[in-house]
Amino acid sequence: MLYLQVLINGLVLGGLYACIAVGFSLVWGVLNVINILHGSFVILGSYVAYFAYVHLGIHPFYSIILAGAVLFALGYALQLGLINRVVGAPVLTTLVLTFGLDLLLNNAMLVAFSADYRSIQLANPLGRMDLGEVTLPLDRVASMLFALGLTGLLYLLLGRSRIGRAIVAVRMDREAAALMGVRVRRVYAITFGVGAMMAGAAGSLLALIFPISPLNSSEFLGIAFVVCVMGGLGSITGAMIGGLALGVIESFAALFIGPEHGLTIAFTLLILLLMFKPTGIMGRRGYE
Amino acid sequence: MAEPLMQIQGLESGYGEIQVLWGIDLEVHEQELVSLIGSNGAGKTTLLKTISGLVPPTNGSVLIDGEEYAGRRPDQMLTAGVAQVPEGRRLFRTMSVRDNLLMGAYMRPQNDPGIREDYERVMAMFPRLAERARQDAGTLSGGEQQMCAIGRGIMGRPRLLMIDELSLGLAPRAVEMLIESLLELNRAGVAILLVEQDVATALDLAHRAYVVDRGRIAMSGTARELADAPEVREAYMGI
Repeated sequence: MLYLQVLINGLVLGGLYACIAVGFSLVWGVLNVINILHGSFVILGSYVAYFAYVHLGIHPFYSIILAGAVLFALGYALQLGLINRVVGAPVLTTLVLTFGLDLLLNNAMLVAFSADYRSIQLANPLGRMDLGEVTLPLDRVASMLFALGLTGLLYLLLGRSRIGRAIVAVRMDREAAALMGVRVRRVYAITFGVGAMMAGAAGSLLALIFPISPLNSSEFLGIAFVVCVMGGLGSITGAMIGGLALGVIESFAALFIGPEHGLTIAFTLLILLLMFKPTGIMGRRGYE
Repeated sequence: MAEPLMQIQGLESGYGEIQVLWGIDLEVHEQELVSLIGSNGAGKTTLLKTISGLVPPTNGSVLIDGEEYAGRRPDQMLTAGVAQVPEGRRLFRTMSVRDNLLMGAYMRPQNDPGIREDYERVMAMFPRLAERARQDAGTLSGGEQQMCAIGRGIMGRPRLLMIDELSLGLAPRAVEMLIESLLELNRAGVAILLVEQDVATALDLAHRAYVVDRGRIAMSGTARELADAPEVREAYMGI
C-alpha cells in the first residue's frame, strides 16, 4: 500500500511535469530554439495565480486562464519582436538570446517580488480522501488532472485545428508550409506564445503545491529539459509519458534512497536511457 | 492578344550576395502550358521561388492580371491564384495523404464546400491516392508522392500552377500517368508553368517554352520552334 501511495504521489508530480515540459518541447521542436526563459515563464505564471488569489480571491484553477493569457501575450510579443530575428541561426545564438532574456525576466521578478518564498493558503481546500490505506490529496490530484487535461487539449489543437496543422506543417518543412500560404513568422510567434501559455498554466497549478520564488526557475527549466529529452523532442505524447515517468521515478527514488536524492536519481536514469535509446521513449516518430 | 495572366519583366533575384537571375522576361497566358528548360544551375528553380514569394526579387516586375505582385508573400500569391509545387515534392511526411491535401487548401475558408469538391476531384484524378488517403505521406512511392504534391497544389484552386521538376527520379510509368493528369488539368482551364529536365517531354507537352541559361532567357518560342532549333537539339537533347 505504501508503494501505491508513492505511485500516486509520483503521478501527481508527473502530470505537472508533463504540463511544464510540453510547451518547452513544442518550441524546441518547431522553432529549434532551446528556450531558457521557460522556467521563468512557469514562475511568472505562479505569481499571476498567487496575486490573483491574494488580491482578487480568484482560485488558482481559474487563474490558469488568466496566467495562460498573460504568458501567451508575453511570449507572442517576445517572439515577434526579438526571437524571430535569430530563428534559423545556430542554436548557440538563440540559446544566448533566451538566456539573456531569462536573466532580465528573472531579475525583474526578484526586484518586483523579492526572493522570499510565498505560498497560497487556500481558504477552502478540498482536503483529502482516504481510500483504505491510500490517501488522495484532492487539490493536488485536481491540479494533475487539469495539467494532463491541458496537455491533451494542446494535442487536439495541434491535430485538429487549422492553426495546429499549420504549426505541424512548419515544423516539418517551413518552406513547403509557406507555399501553402502559411505565414511562417506569425506561426513562430503563436507557437512561442502557446509554449509560454502552457508554462503559465502549469505555473498557476504549481502555485498550489510548491512555494513560489524566482529562485526556483532553473529547477523547472531542468525538469522541462529532462522530460523533453526523455520523451522525445517535439512530441506531445512523449512529453506526457516522460513527465509521468520522471514524477514516478523521483517519488520512488525519494522513498528508497532519500528525498534529497530524488531528482539526482531521475537525472541518472535519464543518462542511462539516452545511452541505450538516444531518441527518447517516443523516438523520432512521435511528431504529432 | 488578351492581357497575360502573368507577365514578368526584368526580374532579378538571388541569395544574399549571389545574384542568380539577371533580368528575366516571361509571360504565361490563361490556360497555357509553358515549359522552362535549361541546364542545372541555370536559375529555373530560383525563378519559380521568386515568383511564388519564397525568394525576394531585387529588381523587376511580376504582373498578375496587370497588377504588380513582385515581392509579395507566398500567401498573397496564392490569393492571386499562383501556386507552386516545389522540387522534391516536399510533402509533410508524418501527416496523412488527406491532411497533406487539406494543407493545400489552407488559404481557403474552412467551410468552403468547394474544398470537398476539389478533394474528390484529386481523388478521381489519382485513384492511387484514394487508396492511401489515411497513410502517412512519407510511406508513399516517389510517383505517388508527386501525385500528392500536385494534388496539394490543385487544392488551392490556382489559375496558374508552377511545377518544379515533374519527372525527376520517377519511374517512366509514373511519369506517363502524371503527364496525363497535367494535360487533363490544363484542359480544365489551369495554366501550367513547368520546369522539366527531360527536354523532349517538356517540349512535347507545352504550347510555348523558354530556355533559361545563366539567369537569363536565352531563347523562347513555340514548343515546336524550340524542338526544331539546332541549338536546343544540340545543347539539351543530345542530337
